[in-house]
Amino acid sequence: MDLSYIALLMPSLLRGLGQTLWLFALTLIFSLPLGLVFTLGSISKIPPLRWLSRLYIWVFRGTPLMLQLFFIYYGLPFLGVAFDRTTSAVVTFVLNYAAYFAEIYRAGIQSIDRGQHEAAKTLGFTPWQTMRLIILPQTISRVIPPVCNETITLVKDTALVTAIGVGELLKAAEGAVNRDMDITAYILVALIYLALTFVLTVVYERLEKRFSRHQKKEA
Amino acid sequence: MAILTVENLTKRYGGFEALKGVSLSMDRGETVAIIGSSGSGKSTLLRCINTLERVSGGRIEIDGEVLVDTINGQVKYPPEKELRRICMKTSMVFQQFNLFPHLTCLENITIAPIKILGQNRADAIAKADRLLRLVGMESKADSFPSMLSGGQQQRVAIARALAVDPQLMLFDEPTSALDPELTAEVISVIAKLAQQDMTMLIVTHEMEFARTVADRVLFFEDGEIIAGGTAAEFFENQQNERIRRFLNGFQK
Ligand SMILES: Nc1ncnc2c1ncn2[C@@H]1O[C@H](COP(=O)(O)OP(=O)(O)O)[C@@H](O)[C@H]1O
Ligand SMILES: [Mg+2]
Repeated sequence: MDLSYIALLMPSLLRGLGQTLWLFALTLIFSLPLGLVFTLGSISKIPPLRWLSRLYIWVFRGTPLMLQLFFIYYGLPFLGVAFDRTTSAVVTFVLNYAAYFAEIYRAGIQSIDRGQHEAAKTLGFTPWQTMRLIILPQTISRVIPPVCNETITLVKDTALVTAIGVGELLKAAEGAVNRDMDITAYILVALIYLALTFVLTVVYERLEKRFSRHQKKEA
Repeated sequence: MAILTVENLTKRYGGFEALKGVSLSMDRGETVAIIGSSGSGKSTLLRCINTLERVSGGRIEIDGEVLVDTINGQVKYPPEKELRRICMKTSMVFQQFNLFPHLTCLENITIAPIKILGQNRADAIAKADRLLRLVGMESKADSFPSMLSGGQQQRVAIARALAVDPQLMLFDEPTSALDPELTAEVISVIAKLAQQDMTMLIVTHEMEFARTVADRVLFFEDGEIIAGGTAAEFFENQQNERIRRFLNGFQK
């Protein structure tokens, strides 16, 4: 491998990395809270709200992300809603990941012992106060590992947006490989993805430690 | 005046009748022990009194207010908010403690007074300190429940239940999940409350505890109260052969 060739590639790869990180960040910022909305919907006592939320989660988890991407970019214009490439990508990812997070949160909430609900009720908590003050805070430490796993998948999923022509890391490399007939760019992006997932893993280990501070310590 | 009146309470789970018409009444300051074999409906009674379960029929009155009534076969509860207010005259101690693991002992005790009763922080903390001293747990105020023994957790749970100023304390086998040596420390806390004239309805398998701490004993069998009386007459002078055999089974 030729260092000067690598140096030549880096600017466009870094630009691609920026786009990837931007998509990653926007997806998380919107889908993490949106997922909670669908979770609360899916366990709600109001039947239509519960059904709609569950249908939503089922559809978005049950169909390929790529298909959803095509549907929103190519399909929605037929219904009179047209987003540009980047917006389509962000919207699809947010909707898709919200469904996955919703399911993770729901499993977390339902793993909390029934005795917690009962104790809260006997102390006069309303169901919503119980959820907010007792159940959700305990859920956080339980959902951190699966949520973190999901975001590592997200890093890699961002490469799918190449399919509708959105610029990001993989697309930047693809351009260089086709132009120069040299796979160096692919090797470089592989290393960049690995570095990203490594950094995320380290961050998540920290988070996990922080949020499990109340769990059993050697007495 | 009666703090609790239960009349002809029934509770069905599907086709199974867990309570078959239970009636009892408690006066302020009384300690009543409920004994009886497992599955006889003791927990169900407590859980109907604090609305963890909805009754199938009958009437419950707490501190002169109607929690539930049955009129012409129709079970009638007041609206949700009203129901919660009446229920808050009771407080419950569970067999499995059910402390909130994400909160320290102190926070477990203050959360309801602050968030539910709207007391100010400083008052709630001062009161929690007093309660922690009462149950002998003042040194663990800032510990998380997972760092405590079962007996210690249960003592904190008792303090938490007391913090909402209940008129009636419900205990569901408070020592059944504990090793014998930890049972004693919890029992002595409950005995102390009895001396302070706390009104308590206690489901227990500790016969010695029931005999020495309770004013009255009720015996459950198959969803009914089949015997009852002052602790002295119930234990010293039991006429019912089956109950005598039940009591003998606990003598070690
Ligand atoms: N949620 C429930 N669904 C169905 N049956 C129940 C439920 N809770 C309790 N039971 C039944 O009701 C009976 C009384 O239970 P319980 O009040 O817990 O007894 P105890 O506390 O005296 O051991 C038992 O036979 C039990 O199996
Ligand atoms: Mg029981």
